[in-house]
This record gives sequence, structure tokens and C-alpha cells, in this order.
Amino acid sequence: MTTGFIPARYRITERYGETHDTVTLAMQPVDEPIPAHRPGQFTMLYAFGVGEVPISVSGEPSGYGLIQTIRSVGAVTAALCATSPGQLIGVRGPYGTDWDLPSAAGRDLVIVAGGIGLAPLRPAVVAALASPGAFRRILILIGARSPAELVFAGQLDSWRERGADVRVTVDRASSGWTGNVGLVTQLIDRADLDPAQTTAMVCGPELMMRLSAQALCARGVAPSRVRVSLERNMRCGLAECGHCQLGPLLLCRDGPVVGFDQAAPLLAIREL
Amino acid sequence: MNGVAPGALANHEFVRGLADRHVALLAGAATLVTFEPGHRLFEEGGQASSLWLIRSGHVALDLHVAGPGRLIVETIGSGEAIGLSWQGPPFRWQFGAEAVHPTTAFELDTGVLTDFCDADPELGYLIVRRLLAVALHRLHATRIRMLDLYASSHPPVSLP
Repeated sequence: MTTGFIPARYRITERYGETHDTVTLAMQPVDEPIPAHRPGQFTMLYAFGVGEVPISVSGEPSGYGLIQTIRSVGAVTAALCATSPGQLIGVRGPYGTDWDLPSAAGRDLVIVAGGIGLAPLRPAVVAALASPGAFRRILILIGARSPAELVFAGQLDSWRERGADVRVTVDRASSGWTGNVGLVTQLIDRADLDPAQTTAMVCGPELMMRLSAQALCARGVAPSRVRVSLERNMRCGLAECGHCQLGPLLLCRDGPVVGFDQAAPLLAIREL
Repeated sequence: MNGVAPGALANHEFVRGLADRHVALLAGAATLVTFEPGHRLFEEGGQASSLWLIRSGHVALDLHVAGPGRLIVETIGSGEAIGLSWQGPPFRWQFGAEAVHPTTAFELDTGVLTDFCDADPELGYLIVRRLLAVALHRLHATRIRMLDLYASSHPPVSLP
């Protein structure tokens, strides 16, 4: 188990390229594993000699292994994306709040993901699908720039086969694409929702989350029943450094998952 | 025009809430049409003279360009309207449209619709407001798409 800032060593066991800039890494602990995560939590991943970054867990919370999906957007994430099976990385965590999936039991579960935002939602999807009958309905709405930039694209059909209603839209269709073209919010507008019975989980770039949450609320879903995963500059993961402060929240501890009733006013403040 | 049952038309999002007499008028200008996947509803540059209210299925708005060929701009689904170019000069389709899936729609003859609206300004006002809402919705969505919503450097948690 990690304590404080000391990471546990994990060995990469599998590397799967999701898109041109995004990979999913499967890891097994070399040292004592970190505690089991809950869907929506993140870890601090350490590329030795390069740096440490917060990455949401994209795998199901079973066993000792970890599955995390990383987009290469900077030096550290590029180093992590470039790792290959056999290499070691450091892991601290898990940290933060989770999607609180059990509180959605018996209701309609609406998952809204934009781009790599499907990664932090995947554990919730997998857990929900593993509990047939626990939810009245599982509706998964996914938006991406293009079909080539869909993460977990190979898993969507199996989610459908297991009972989820999965709808995908892209900004730019490629040849042969017969799905939706347009914003993910348009999928929300078109969805047959029962607002009073809906719990929604939204993840993606902040603007996408804000617009999607607003679209859900416009359909009548209570803001407190719309959960978003916020990002700020998580550094310590221990609510000590303050880098991830968003108003009264330290997002490494009080987030990343917060209700839109709490998030909406904070996202409207320009300087936050 | 064959006309459609007012009760069927009244359930469409675009029409919902209109007075019965207005729905009855619109129903007289409407035809229930069915499109198989691949059917072209209209072509870029053609005379714009219809408004389709989609009941089920999907229609793709597209442009043909050299190189990649057909570019899909947006898909329009159940409960939505397609075909707005008849409202203003040059009264020609700005895009093409093709059914992606089996699609049913109410097709309204916009010449007849315009005559109804001219004769009944109250209906005309309500129709223009609804068409404006459709156009505003599309404009808003287009502006957001221009921001490249998913490609930002803002993944779920911060990455330096």
C-alpha cells in the first residue's frame, strides 16, 4: 500500500492503443497493491524520471491489477503512453470521490461521455452491466471528434448485447459511418428520458460536461442527480497542496466527481 | 397532397401545442413519406420546396466535395425537422440529404404552408417561431462544434 507520496511499483502487462494518441495500460503490482478503487476515482501515475500525473482508473475494481487509459498531451503522459509491457511505473491512490453507482440502483442510469471521458465512466458501465436488473435502464451516450477517436470502440457492441442502449455521435464522419453526426447534447435532446427516475454521470472536457449537464437539466433531471467529473491541477492527491482548488473544493479529495448542483455555480465563475 | 391524420401530426415535436385548427390545416399540406436507406431527399442547389418532420429514422445532411466525396454535416433524427432553405433567398438547398436508416416523415409542401401562413398570420407567427427555434438550435450546435469539443487539452483529470 502507498503512504503519502511514495508510489507503489506496478509493471505494465498489456498495452492497447485506443486511438492515435490514447492508450490503455494494464498493470500488476510489484509491491503491495494500492487499495481497490471505486468507479470514478483516480490515481497518480509516475513515469520514473519524468513526472507524475493524475489519471482516472478505467478498469473494473477487481483483483490487484489496474487498468488506466491515458491520452498523450504532455511530457509525462507521453512517457506513460510510450511504456511497453515489462516496464515499471509508480502508482499512488486511489484518490477522490466516485460515481456513487449504488445510489442510482433502481433508476435509469444515463452515462454521457465525450472523447476520453468514457475512460473514467467505464468502471461504472462495467459495474452496472455486471448487475442485471439493478437499474431500470442503462443509456450510454458517447460523443467523439471522429469514429477513429472513439475509445473502447471494440467494447460497445458487447455492452449493447448485455442490455445497454449505446448511442454514438461524432463531429466528423468518415467514409462508411452510418451513425449520428452532431453534438453529444443532441443525443440527450433525442433520448427518451424519464427525468424523475434518471441519474446521470457525465465526463469529458469541461465545456462538454457543462453543456451536457445543462441539457440533462433542461430535460428535467435534477442537478443533484447529474454528476460530473471535474479536473483541475491535481498534484498531491492528499488535499494538502491546494493546486486543485475549485472554490471551496479541493478536487483531489472533494472531487473529481461532484453533483452538478454543486459544480454549476463554480463553473460559472471565470477566475476559477 | 394526400393529407395526413391531424392526430398523427399533432404528436410531432414541431407541431405539438398548436391549436387543433392549425394542426388540421398543416395536416392538409402534409404527406406521410417513407425512405429507404440511401434515398436522396434533396440535392444541393435544387429548388427548396419541402419541409420534413422526421417521425422515425435518421437523415444525414451532406455536401459532395472533390476528394473525400460525401461529407456528412449532421444527422437529423426523430422529432426533428429538416429542410429550412425554402425560407429565404436563393430558395435552394444548401446541402443534400440522404436517409441513413429506414425513415418516415411528414413532408409539408412549403408553397401550401406559406399560403396558409399568409392567410392566417397567427399560424404564420407560430410557424416562424418554431422554424427560428430549429435554426437557433442548429446555430448553437454548430458554434459549439467549431470549438472542437472533444479534442481540447482538457481530459477528465489534469495532465501536464
